[in-house]
Amino acid sequence: MNPTVLIGLDGATFTILDPLMQEGVMPHLASMLASGVRAELRSTPNPLTPPAWIALMTGRNPGTHGVFDFIWSEERASEVYFTLYNFRDIQCETIWSMVSRQQGRVGTLNFPMMSPPPEVNGYVIPGLVSWKHLRRNIFPREVFDELKGLPGFSAREMAWDFDMEKEAARGVPEEEYENWITFHIRRERQWFAAVRHLMRTRPADLTAILFDGPDKMLHMGWRFLDPDLVPSDPSPWEQKIRQLLHDYFRELDTFLAEIRELAGPEARLFMASDHGFGPTREVLRINTWLAEQGLLRWRDMEDMAEGDRERYRRLIDRHFVLLDWRHTRAYASTTTSNGIHIRVARSEGDGGVPAADYATFRQELADRLLGITDEAGQPVISRVLTREEAFPGPNNRRAPDLTIVTRDHGFLSIVNREPVLYRRPQVEGTHYPMGVFMAAGPGITGGVTLPAMDLVDIAPALLHSLGLPVPSDLEGRVVEGLFTDSFLAGRPVRRGGPTARPDSYALREQHTLEAEEEAQIIKQLQALGYME
Amino acid sequence: MASRSREEILDSLVRILEDMTADWDMDLDDPIDEATRLMADLEFESIDVVQFIVAIEERFQQRGMPFEELLMEDGRYVDEITVRDTVDFLDRHLAG
Repeated sequence: MNPTVLIGLDGATFTILDPLMQEGVMPHLASMLASGVRAELRSTPNPLTPPAWIALMTGRNPGTHGVFDFIWSEERASEVYFTLYNFRDIQCETIWSMVSRQQGRVGTLNFPMMSPPPEVNGYVIPGLVSWKHLRRNIFPREVFDELKGLPGFSAREMAWDFDMEKEAARGVPEEEYENWITFHIRRERQWFAAVRHLMRTRPADLTAILFDGPDKMLHMGWRFLDPDLVPSDPSPWEQKIRQLLHDYFRELDTFLAEIRELAGPEARLFMASDHGFGPTREVLRINTWLAEQGLLRWRDMEDMAEGDRERYRRLIDRHFVLLDWRHTRAYASTTTSNGIHIRVARSEGDGGVPAADYATFRQELADRLLGITDEAGQPVISRVLTREEAFPGPNNRRAPDLTIVTRDHGFLSIVNREPVLYRRPQVEGTHYPMGVFMAAGPGITGGVTLPAMDLVDIAPALLHSLGLPVPSDLEGRVVEGLFTDSFLAGRPVRRGGPTARPDSYALREQHTLEAEEEAQIIKQLQALGYME
Repeated sequence: MASRSREEILDSLVRILEDMTADWDMDLDDPIDEATRLMADLEFESIDVVQFIVAIEERFQQRGMPFEELLMEDGRYVDEITVRDTVDFLDRHLAG
């Protein structure tokens, strides 16, 4: 197989990368693009890390792969029961398995939803895992011991810090900007040191590393990087923050160059982001609006015992919603899903929507949402998509009933606060639908911009680069113009059979073991004279 | 699948917890046993509970158990879970 490298750049957008290349902050990326291709990359309908990266990894959209958010929730008794999505929720085969079962070696670092880790022909170091659980979630486990031997290795620095991320979700305070940026510079160094080591000691046909710092930098630092917003007369502090952000991207650029060099001249390098980024200036408090419409009722905390009240305050502080289910027909459970769930009545007297009225209720709610306006009478929501429109496919059961796209793509707020439409004191960055795709290397077209691609087109491109057939049931395709005509003449795109079960590689290994055991037993029985 | 005794379940849980906490730099006064409290003794946070559940499901190769019965009481999240609570829960719900 031809060595192929995928570098994920979480949240990267050309709106920021282009100026960084022009200003000389990312010269290696500029050089790669001069000899490679670029295209905008369309994200999933809710442009969010888990559904989007899994679309890239599986070549399937969320309605098929089944992951829509970081967490999923179900109504249980008087509370919502939350749990995190994990690898076992992915309903499709990943590219790691597709390559493994065709005898290719894979190495994957920092991709989300990769725990518990799948058994692959290579190694998996998952992202979104706390340092406390990193060792147990690496496959094979001895890779963790190898990493521990690296100079300066720190599992705490490399892994996902849930407390910090929780704080950051509320907005990084300005006095913390410097620490936040330098923390992420150190964190990326950890991941780079890991991939550099493993590319040397465990070379893979497909090496994939995700740098998730761009997303962190752009959420808090958008106004320091967007050419339209950079202050014309910056204060010393603003200059310092901008400089630190440039330091982050400058170092990331050197990582890209070193990874390419490590991969060798025959390797093809692909880079992609899960979504784009852009400015957001307002917050829509969707549950407050639903309450105003009489469709949701907050749980009354006044009648609670003091201990319970305190506990609920802590939950609310963590952005949990506490609702009176008997009087709630529609609600948003997480800020990241940008979605509304409709409560269908489970029994007589339940305050939910009667099943027979569901379709009418949903349509009326969608129409009312589109009617939300600002003080000037301008609509705040640009699109409302039904579950079937946003996430067509056999595995969309957990998707929200309605997915909302606001006019500035901002995430919805789910907390009980007024007013419904809140103007942010500062412009922040938020996820936009169009991310980036870039590729360079032998057989890749040079210096061109392709029409926009979809996330599901990446897996076919990687498989073709490796010399493997593209499974017939992938939802993407090898886009025209990505590979040169002469390369395609020597290696036309091959269509393969359908993908296998999600855990097919692990199952195959298990079956092999069982077959070996069976052979051993037969041998023993033969030796004992019970079988011929 | 053969049914498991309470002792076997306890043994598995202790192994999971020992493995899980091996890197946590904790000085436990007593070894992990039935009386161990996940929050008070092992300093579990909510994310650790999630990982614990996944590890249990992996160990016993059984998904879809109603863990809300362990984590919630009268519709509310509990403040503490012991190893004994977890053994009792698995004793009721593991496939025989």
